[in-house]
Amino acid sequence: MKEPFHPKIVSFLCKWCTYSGADLAGTSRMQYPPSILPIRVMCSSRVNPVFVIKSYLSGSDGVLIGGCHPGDCHYQSGNYHTRRRIAILKKVFDSIGLETERVRLSWISASEGSKFARISEEFTGKIESMGENPTKKKVFL
Amino acid sequence: MDYLLRVEKSAEHGLIDFLKFLLENDRIGGVFTLRKTGADGAFDYGLIHDTALLEDAIPLHPFMPVNAAQDLSHFASMKKPIAVVIRPCELRAFIELVKRSQGSMDHFLMISYTCGGVFPFDVAVSGEPEKELPDYWESVARGQIFPKTRETCRACEHFVPMNADVTVSLIGETVNEVCIFCIHTEKAMHLAEGFESKRIEAELESPAIETLRRERQEEKKKLFENTVIRVNGLDGMIDMFGKCIGCHGCSRVCPICHCILCDFESHLFDYEPSMIEDELYRKGGVRLPTDTVLYHIGRLNHMSFSCVGCGMCTEVCPAGIPVAAIFMRTGEETAQLFDYLPGRDVEEEVPVTVYKEEELSTIGED
Amino acid sequence: MKTTTAKSLRVSKKEGVRKPILAFLKSLLTDAVFDAILIPMQVPAGDSYAWVLVKDPSLLDQANPLAPIMPVQGAKALKSLTRKGEGNLKIAAVMRPCEVRASVELAKLNQIHLESITLMSVDCPGVLPVADYFENPGESEKRFNAMLSENRWGNGSMKSVCQICEQFSILPSSDFHFGLMTGSESSVVLISSSPKGQRVLKDRSLDGSVSLSDWENGIESIRQERKKERTKRFREVQSMVEGFDGLLKTFARCIGCHNCQSACPICYCRHCYFGSEASKLDSDFILKKAEQRGGLSFPLDRRMFHVGRMSHMSLSCVACGLCSDACPVSIPVADVFSFVADQTQRTFDYKAGEKREEPLPIRQYRLEEIKGVEEWVKDAEGVES
Repeated sequence: MKEPFHPKIVSFLCKWCTYSGADLAGTSRMQYPPSILPIRVMCSSRVNPVFVIKSYLSGSDGVLIGGCHPGDCHYQSGNYHTRRRIAILKKVFDSIGLETERVRLSWISASEGSKFARISEEFTGKIESMGENPTKKKVFL
Repeated sequence: MDYLLRVEKSAEHGLIDFLKFLLENDRIGGVFTLRKTGADGAFDYGLIHDTALLEDAIPLHPFMPVNAAQDLSHFASMKKPIAVVIRPCELRAFIELVKRSQGSMDHFLMISYTCGGVFPFDVAVSGEPEKELPDYWESVARGQIFPKTRETCRACEHFVPMNADVTVSLIGETVNEVCIFCIHTEKAMHLAEGFESKRIEAELESPAIETLRRERQEEKKKLFENTVIRVNGLDGMIDMFGKCIGCHGCSRVCPICHCILCDFESHLFDYEPSMIEDELYRKGGVRLPTDTVLYHIGRLNHMSFSCVGCGMCTEVCPAGIPVAAIFMRTGEETAQLFDYLPGRDVEEEVPVTVYKEEELSTIGED
Repeated sequence: MKTTTAKSLRVSKKEGVRKPILAFLKSLLTDAVFDAILIPMQVPAGDSYAWVLVKDPSLLDQANPLAPIMPVQGAKALKSLTRKGEGNLKIAAVMRPCEVRASVELAKLNQIHLESITLMSVDCPGVLPVADYFENPGESEKRFNAMLSENRWGNGSMKSVCQICEQFSILPSSDFHFGLMTGSESSVVLISSSPKGQRVLKDRSLDGSVSLSDWENGIESIRQERKKERTKRFREVQSMVEGFDGLLKTFARCIGCHNCQSACPICYCRHCYFGSEASKLDSDFILKKAEQRGGLSFPLDRRMFHVGRMSHMSLSCVACGLCSDACPVSIPVADVFSFVADQTQRTFDYKAGEKREEPLPIRQYRLEEIKGVEEWVKDAEGVES
């Protein structure tokens, strides 16, 4: 029998907002899927797009980048830069025919535990419907 | 303030005369231009100080051994400017470098020209370029694409220089008979004062330029469509870059890739053997050296919006991968996100260094 | 003391040598003699080869121990695996002799760790220049395989450095060797020449009654031919490159892309001096130089780069020819470098990568050696030696 597909989503979460949001979701006993593999970063702008590409090419089924809402960055403008970088990354993916939907940027504040749970749920569902990341089986990357 | 000067000589001779005039009158510190080196048809970029050596200059020949922007970034402050004769894409690349603090426009009198494209290395170096030249100039005079130019040259619509001090008009001109300069800036006006020429009432833009632009746009559309077919999806990427030998020559000759040590050559991409073993257990096989596709996607991501389509990367690729076409196409898309055109304006900032509060509303909103 | 054991693999004329070698390698994986095998494998598009570390035996079907080209030097693949240290797996690397030699050199330079690697060399007929191969991969593949099955060694369509290579067979530094019969015999001889190599042949049910003399004679006769050719070619290269004008002319087309260096297995420096901040000249200095000479060639220091590289790495040059393959303007870099390497290595009676225990010549000195250099200095000063 085929194993059911449990996606793995590498998630880069901003310490000040989204990571705290995830904490809140946990302490509030909200349910969200175990697919999220959180990596805490000091700011979403710490996420070098190469981290995202590397995660994708290493077989991560999805990559989530979580930051503070625009205007709320702890370092004032980090998340605006993140937005540009992810826009470029998605455009690059799009232009060479890779699945842009496997990369997602979301603004989740420290108080939005329920939003974190909802987005984890939504994104996991989306990835489940897309199926496994095809890079997992590629030897010649 | 644009105005045109006419000299009754071939374009190349007229231009060399102008450079000689500048050098002899001590208005510039040197001339940076393409030249023959005397050995079996070899050519290079030379910084010429002695007017006698201008004899070897071939400023308008359709050769591009390197993207000259790389060389120009060596120059810091100088007493007198250097007159530089480069192609529009080299000038655009240099503007991109200036934005990244890798050079300064102040040091140069930028002379460029309406460009008919350059020969690929297999014509310019291994072939017989001299034989192709008459036909090349014929196409330039007619405002047509010359088929034996680089793939990206044939698809280049920015062949009228941006930000030049002086433009030599080539497209649509009978270059054997006449040399027409367009003076754009005050700097150029002062330096050219006293140069023997006739001022004429005309414009640089011409029907021939219009025709060529249309042709090139058409060609670009075709090239991009073809590239999409060849590089589509993960399998397309693997097929295209499967034969990449990982020499990173494409980034070394790229005028935009100015980083002294690329991430992909740094210790960041040396792995502990256990990491490769992990991957081996997952996949049953691992390509070594690692990260071939990652390198190219990473580079697309890091510099494509500044790509000027000079085609150097394709020229140096030992595996014959059409790197330039891929980067030019993706580059156009990433630049359009920010309504950006590489090399258009020194004041226009590199998209990843700035932001707007209200933009890209579809990214990140839930 | 080295113990050498030899056995043989039966080969049918029709099948060629590739299949039996692969079947043998497969058995080494399934019997857990090795955890993984590093071997060239055809890429999915079928238009080139890449190094793949293989654990799954079924992947070996697309492998080719005798690939017609060498787009990436095997030592580089091994470096990418073990630069940071020893792994946990027992790995066999199936390589051309020049790749084994480059690996041994890199091990001496601490860029490769060979403790858990078994180096397996293959008798090498040479490889095609990549540019020729890429023009028509399918056709080149056929041409190469035909040469192999018809035993046409020393073929003129191979890379120029391959045509004059003397170290194309078993090396003192390899653990294990696949000897291809150069005569009419249809078998591959398997030779283990180190304790690691012994492990490979242990418990294999193979024909043990093999006499090596036929194979040795075949190899030796090819070697003699190559030797003659080598002397001739080196003389040609010498007359081409000799003197300052010769150097200028040979490298006149160089565009300074440094592809030769990045394809070179020996040039492992992460950050070469040429291209570094330290090599950049200040603009006043550049202008002054241009003023003194009337003109200055750009990119700067292109000739110095080549001479610098010669002096830096030629002692370890294995003449694999990757530099020529990578040159976009077809400069015969490898011909020049292998000629220079022959001279520099001869100075110390050193052959790059041949013996593992031989230290790098620039890492050591003897009080009494290389008299020639001092005498030359005396001559220059006009003092009789």
